[in-house]
Amino acid sequence: MIINYFLTIIFIALISPFLTGLIKSIKMYLLFKKPLSPFQPYIDIAKLFKKEVIYSKETSIISRISPFLVISPLVIVLFLLPPIYSKSFYVSFMDAFTITGLMSLSTFFLMLLGLDSASSFGGIGSSREAFISALVEPAMVLTIFAISLMAGNISISKAAVSLSTHFPVIYSASFILAAISFFILLIAENGRIPVDNPETHLELTMVHEAMVLDVSGANLALIELASSLKFAIFATLFATLFLPFGENLCWCLAFIVFIIKLLFICLAVALVELNTAKLRLFKVPNLLAVSFVFGFLSLTTYYILGA
Amino acid sequence: MFDFNPFSMLFGFLILLGVIPNLFYMAGYLNHIERKFHFLLHYFTFIISMFGVVLSNNILVFLFFWELMSLSSWQLILTEPTPKNLKAARFYFFMTHFGFVFILFFFLLVSPDNLTMSFDYLKLNIQNFKYPTLLFLLMSLGFLSKAGAVPLHVWLPYAHPAAPSPVSALMSGVMLKVAIFAFLKFLFMFNYWPIEWGIIILIIGALSALIGVLYALSEHDIKALLANHSVENIGIILIGIGVGMIFNTLNLPIISAFAFIAAIYHTFNHMSFKSLLFMSAGSVLYETHTKNIEKYGGLIKNMPITAFSFLIAAISISALPPTNGFLSEWMIFQSMLSSGGINNIALKLAFPFSIFALALTGGLAIACFVKAFGISFLGLHRSENAKHAKEVNTLMQIGQILMAVVIISLMLFVPFIIKFINLSTPILNIYDKIFPNIWIMKSVNGNGGSISPLILVIALIVVTSVIYFIYKSLNIKERVYHTWACGYEVGATNQYSATGFAGPIRKFFTWLYRPKEHKITETLSGHKTKFSYSFYEVHVKPLFEESLYSGTVKLANIISYYVYKISHFEKTKYVALIFNLIILVLFSYRVFYHEISWGNIVLEITIIAIFTKILLLGDKK
Repeated sequence: MIINYFLTIIFIALISPFLTGLIKSIKMYLLFKKPLSPFQPYIDIAKLFKKEVIYSKETSIISRISPFLVISPLVIVLFLLPPIYSKSFYVSFMDAFTITGLMSLSTFFLMLLGLDSASSFGGIGSSREAFISALVEPAMVLTIFAISLMAGNISISKAAVSLSTHFPVIYSASFILAAISFFILLIAENGRIPVDNPETHLELTMVHEAMVLDVSGANLALIELASSLKFAIFATLFATLFLPFGENLCWCLAFIVFIIKLLFICLAVALVELNTAKLRLFKVPNLLAVSFVFGFLSLTTYYILGA
Repeated sequence: MFDFNPFSMLFGFLILLGVIPNLFYMAGYLNHIERKFHFLLHYFTFIISMFGVVLSNNILVFLFFWELMSLSSWQLILTEPTPKNLKAARFYFFMTHFGFVFILFFFLLVSPDNLTMSFDYLKLNIQNFKYPTLLFLLMSLGFLSKAGAVPLHVWLPYAHPAAPSPVSALMSGVMLKVAIFAFLKFLFMFNYWPIEWGIIILIIGALSALIGVLYALSEHDIKALLANHSVENIGIILIGIGVGMIFNTLNLPIISAFAFIAAIYHTFNHMSFKSLLFMSAGSVLYETHTKNIEKYGGLIKNMPITAFSFLIAAISISALPPTNGFLSEWMIFQSMLSSGGINNIALKLAFPFSIFALALTGGLAIACFVKAFGISFLGLHRSENAKHAKEVNTLMQIGQILMAVVIISLMLFVPFIIKFINLSTPILNIYDKIFPNIWIMKSVNGNGGSISPLILVIALIVVTSVIYFIYKSLNIKERVYHTWACGYEVGATNQYSATGFAGPIRKFFTWLYRPKEHKITETLSGHKTKFSYSFYEVHVKPLFEESLYSGTVKLANIISYYVYKISHFEKTKYVALIFNLIILVLFSYRVFYHEISWGNIVLEITIIAIFTKILLLGDKK
């Protein structure tokens, strides 16, 4: 049904700031702090939209167009996501490479934005982001390759649907390996704690924050929206591809199951963030190598053991 | 003499696409060149010779135009004969003739009696030749050294920066494609490709792609950076060709045709964006008089058209959707994903590795072009030259805009391009399978990958403009102020540099780069942390050049040293030499007749060693 399709998209777009807020409040609760409302990001973004935008005189037109080009590929990805309810309409003719490509396009302009303000912080952020995302890409492609082989279809929506209807139980070993690999990518791509600390503005730890240091007002709101959208996209992909159950229930139940899955992912990310320390930048490749190895192992088990 | 068969016409079209914008650009660039007659003569010879290579139907004509192409481009590198360019030209001359020797061997082997044989007969000769692998190796060495595949790629980063920019655009954009054409043309003459050939090409391709992009990242000379990217893209093309060859051997003609189409489509794309990148880099060079990207900065404010044409090409070469570069790389990925249908488990496991290599290449290419575009065009001016740069003249702008149009039309008219490529290449006609309608591009493997380039373009435009109009309707106030940067001073010198940008990646790949660091600091009267002046520079010398080429040179030096020593000694030593030789001959004679015992061997080796040491080499002084 086409209404479900649009409702899902609007729902994911709307819930995305809530997810990042929720992770923050879970973390604060577990650290015995007085937790922030998970709806705080909405307030922040609304506030940012009211503020005036300051362009620095060192910047060029890139600073003016980048915020739009950072968010628009991610908005398109929303339209290409797998369905959360198996009878709803989905876009079947776009595959995983397009989705990763669109996310890279968004990152590309974000990195240019970091370099445009002529501040050395922006450069630091862009350089680190380039480093991390260059190493994320191969692991991502391998994981997608593995999952698409198991599902028998490279189109991400079709793969999700076929996984939810006929789960390949015999391939569960390689499935779990791919899931671990993808979870690491989820953390790395969204700049969560072992890779990047989204809450600090310290020179040593920051990647994402450094790039957007000189972006203000509504532009910053767009970028923040984009980063929470990116998390929501990854969470949805994880929920539909690696937790493929409950999608063929009735409309409202499937929706509730999906929300529970998202909450579960947020909880998992918050727990990982709490229990690990931020890695040194040059240790990040080791983490990504783990992800790559898991992706490769998943393929190998699939090919050799068929398990 | 000439043959206008579809495959030649396809590449003739490619040359035409590359040359027409280049002519405008060259006309604008011309008053920058001192030896105009010399330049123009060789420039047009170069273009004609490329057409000649593509259209020739005769060994002698082919070789003539091939050599003409090499020589005219060699002369074009020498347009400005500075010592550095002379060195680059000498290297290019050597490398291109190194390849030529193999091509000559190839032709001499397959046409022993008649060098004016047309290619139709040559095909029969090739198919009847007893040792096809020998032919294949000769051919690969000859044509791929011109195309710039690893390990014969080392001349590219020297030759391309030395040539004037319109010529580097032609050399990198078009000449390398002529080499790919020749490789494909003779490849299609074999009636059967053993699987090893495909694997060799796949490995060479994967290595070229990775090595090209890694050295591009560490490069600060903008034209050398682009030249290294040519190595990368030739690698991607070769991955496509290799996959096509493998699948053809495995009797999967549809996937094989898909891979070949992908490779040729990428050839077209690389022609378009690499030409544009070289043109834009040339415009920047024309205005700032330096090739070092650390000295650019902020050029987007002075040269908007150049900057935007560079940006379009950079997005395309980084394989970001919805550009043509993405589409061809997508096709190559899809053809590799078809490996699920293979039975050979070793091959099955080999494919994920090449997928990994290609994906890593893509990631690093994005990093590299963020660096190239961000450092040269964004931020503040890093030097006086960059500050006083102006937009280039109209003719050069027209050249760049035309090339940008070529890129965009290669993206928008994908169905027609694919159809054109498919119909003119001697492969199975699978156009209907790829494009059931013009909106959706399907992969031919069973996994059902598909993409819709046109819808993607339209969606991006629509979504961006919707967001823009919502944003505009909010009536947000704007203010211009200087960069905050946490309150630190913002200046041309403390921006992020290209060296710094590539720093993390360079550090991660130190084992490959082995950089040489130069660090000069002048500290203030004994303070360790306060200094008045500091300079840091990193140089990366390519490993291949270091080991393979310098190593060969060293080995040749050592051998020639001993040859020299042997040829200039006293008469007594000749006796020793003859004595040694006699023992050696006797020894081999007895080995031949199996009349040896261990005692004899030990005794004779000892004697030979003693005589060699004392009489032949003498005491080392």
